[in-house]
Amino acid sequence: MMRRAAKRVPPLPTTDCRPRTQTRVRVEGAAAQALETGRTRLLVAGVVFALAFMVIGWRLLDVALLTRGYEPRIAAPSHAPGLAAGRADIVDRNGILLASTLPAASLYANPHEVQNTAATARRLAAVLPELSESEVRTRLSADRAFTWLKRDLTPRQQYEVNRLGLPGLHFRREQRRVYPLGSLTAHVVGFTDIDTNGLAGIEKSFDDVLRGASEPLQLSLDVRVQHILTRELSAAMTEFRGIGAAGLVMDARTGEILAMVSLPTFDPDQPGSASEDARFNRASLGVYEMGSVFKIFTTAMALDAGVVTLDDGYDVSQPIHVARFTITDFKPKGGWLSVPEIFMYSSNIGTVHMAVAAGTALQRRYLERLGLTRASGVELSEVGQPMLPSPWREINTMTVAYGHGIAVTPVQLTDAVAAVVNGGELHPATLLKRSGDAAAPGKRVVRRRTSLEMRQLMRLVVRHGTGRKANAPGLMLGGKTGTADKLVNGRYVRNARIASFVGAFPMNDPRYVVFAMVDEPKGTKETYGYATGGWVAAPVVGRVAEAIAPLLGVAPVRDEAPDAGTEQLLVRAKARAERIAAN
Amino acid sequence: MTRLAGFALLLIAAAAALALYQIKFEVAALEDELDATHRRIVAHEEAIQVLHAEWSYLNRPARIADLARRHLGLQQMSAEQILRIDRLPERPVQAVALDGTAAGATLGGAE
Repeated sequence: MMRRAAKRVPPLPTTDCRPRTQTRVRVEGAAAQALETGRTRLLVAGVVFALAFMVIGWRLLDVALLTRGYEPRIAAPSHAPGLAAGRADIVDRNGILLASTLPAASLYANPHEVQNTAATARRLAAVLPELSESEVRTRLSADRAFTWLKRDLTPRQQYEVNRLGLPGLHFRREQRRVYPLGSLTAHVVGFTDIDTNGLAGIEKSFDDVLRGASEPLQLSLDVRVQHILTRELSAAMTEFRGIGAAGLVMDARTGEILAMVSLPTFDPDQPGSASEDARFNRASLGVYEMGSVFKIFTTAMALDAGVVTLDDGYDVSQPIHVARFTITDFKPKGGWLSVPEIFMYSSNIGTVHMAVAAGTALQRRYLERLGLTRASGVELSEVGQPMLPSPWREINTMTVAYGHGIAVTPVQLTDAVAAVVNGGELHPATLLKRSGDAAAPGKRVVRRRTSLEMRQLMRLVVRHGTGRKANAPGLMLGGKTGTADKLVNGRYVRNARIASFVGAFPMNDPRYVVFAMVDEPKGTKETYGYATGGWVAAPVVGRVAEAIAPLLGVAPVRDEAPDAGTEQLLVRAKARAERIAAN
Repeated sequence: MTRLAGFALLLIAAAAALALYQIKFEVAALEDELDATHRRIVAHEEAIQVLHAEWSYLNRPARIADLARRHLGLQQMSAEQILRIDRLPERPVQAVALDGTAAGATLGGAE
């Protein structure tokens, strides 16, 4: 630039610059001065520009050739868009898919773009038989720019519609929630609406979590155990013509729920077509008077508080008359019965004596501690509120002792039983898998000694008492039967019962608690017309325990040694009963 | 001299423009390829998701139980069939000669 400017300086009209030296012109005076100033200015400007270009040039070199420390040596892969972050999966404790989100195409139309409404409707209805031709025609005639025709098409249907090549029809990619296991885990997992908003079960209670997460949500359920429990419960329900059934399998040490079944069940892919009754979760939402199963808590309380010892007992020959009620035994044994026998033969009278000796305040405190007086904290949106006696008088204390006048959910009951047998610590029931072996420390509810005694008593029930049908060889199963008349319109109905059984195994160190309940079972010829917990629910628990023990790695108990103590307990109790009878 | 330099510069500029043009097209082609690959990845991921669901569907415990009953003839395992490893009888000791064949006589003291 500078050079060109300098060239123009000579005032002589030259056609050629050369030879430069020969045409040197000298200008003097003021003109020379002005020329000098001009040159200086040009020089300054030129230097400034040269510097600027040098900076730019250097920067170019720097950017293009030199590397900096923070620049990666290898280009980072540009982020793949991946799947649109849909709703997270739900898996069981072994990673089996319980709920997943799949892409689906939904068909919509822009009625303004549709050319021949009648023909379009006819041809669409031919390809998608679920659509009614007249309805499609109405929708296509609407004066709108958008109308849904069908949501969630299968890939095949989408292909068929595409092949029609009709103008004005479009697809929108959507997410569809699928439940590969169908009705098996319907009550726990729940379901969503068509826009994948959780409406029930885990889908509802963990709606926010599932929406944002990319990692699957792992539940404590084990689908194998769930299947076995469902199978046995529905067999019992069919055999005894029950109107419903519920069951639970819980890890006694952690409170994890391995199976939660409520029958009848429903198809979570079509929750709309299921009845209200089928969608009702009997295991967590239904509250039931559990009957004699509650004697576990009454007996544990009496032993724990030192109200009775295993050597004590009561005369159960006389029914208890209180107010306008009479408390009798289902199968009266008569005479003096020791605490183990009262428990084993499920004597209402004996249990009521124990509860009265303990008192109302103590009973309330123990039931509270066992989590039976407030709703369970299990992670479902459907959790039933227990029904407690109000006011809680002595008569209530008596009926609550054998499980009447108090209604709790099966989840609460199972959790409380787990606490009684596991050494005396209550772990809140949970549907989420506990990570690792680091079991959260439980809350102590009964002393360890009481827990050990209760194990023996529950084992006696299965060896010699009302729960013999639950016996599973080699598993040392112990438990307690329960049969409660159902309260219909404030009156107990004799022929509508809840038959239940809660068991735990192996009783020398309980790992799992199994609960089974059949709603309104009817006796059969094989059961001599009985529809009690011992006939209906106990065999279910026995069979479930037998089937799940090998799956869950419960080592069978070979010899009878662990049962020897239990037997001694009974021998001692009987001897004492005879002594008292002799006096 | 200047003319030569100018010519050279022009040539370089033209070459640079040509190279830039070339690279730009290559990049565009690569980007198309990347897009296509991403689309394929998404399609495969979706397919995997679908296959996962199908795998889970085919592994319904009820179906497996039915298949096992029909084709395997196995029964449910009972507690009696499970033994602790220390309850297993010892494997009979059989003396082996150095060449690997069973020796005629048991080793002295093996009994």
